[in-house]
Amino acid sequence: MRIVLFAAALGMAAGVQAAGNANNGKAKAAQVCAACHGSDGNKPSTPDQPVIAGQHYDYLVRALTDYKIGRRNNPIMKGFAAQLSRQEIEDLSAWFASQQSPLHDQR
Amino acid sequence: MHKKIFVAAAVAAFALGAQVASAQPKPDPAKAPNMSPGAPAGPGKPGIENSIAHCIGCHGIPGYKTAYPDVYHVPKIAGQQPAYIVAALKAYKSGERSHPSMRGIAASLSEEDMKQIAEYYGGTPKAKEGGK
Repeated sequence: MRIVLFAAALGMAAGVQAAGNANNGKAKAAQVCAACHGSDGNKPSTPDQPVIAGQHYDYLVRALTDYKIGRRNNPIMKGFAAQLSRQEIEDLSAWFASQQSPLHDQR
Repeated sequence: MHKKIFVAAAVAAFALGAQVASAQPKPDPAKAPNMSPGAPAGPGKPGIENSIAHCIGCHGIPGYKTAYPDVYHVPKIAGQQPAYIVAALKAYKSGERSHPSMRGIAASLSEEDMKQIAEYYGGTPKAKEGGK
């Protein structure tokens, strides 16, 4: 039980502060992500792809990690995420999370 | 301690959702237009309030985080591409995506519900809050 709470606290702490390096993420994004999502994450190439600019940092880390390990099964994203290291996932997430975007919290 | 509260809250939320859904059964969209001419016509799209009631408890609260199985911010969905929202909901329903709460909710949605939700969140005027 204590371990669960400790892990939860760690998760919250990680969520508050982005661990990735947005500048490194920008460079990586230009190579790996830009063709489909746009270099800043605002230009999905098809309607069923998401806007990722301005999305929450920790959600992006989670999504990329899930693709990498197969918890999410999109074949295209799995191919890209599989080649990313933990650090690169954090860098990319920091870059996209810090971009301007139409995404917001409206109910 | 916290875990018990989370579980209780989750159970309560699901119970509430189920109650709302069963109290107002949705009309079959295929039959709805000319099924009963005498029925009162409600304002707006039928069912949209019920549909988004599933969403706002988590996605309508700025900065809200998942509680289980891991802790991270729930994604911003307002302003997202409608077709992506439908694709994501279908992926939860089919099991391709695995978040427990989202799988439970998506399983209860018809394709028509998903399109309504997608249009509501993706089709609304964008409040220019910018990224964070």
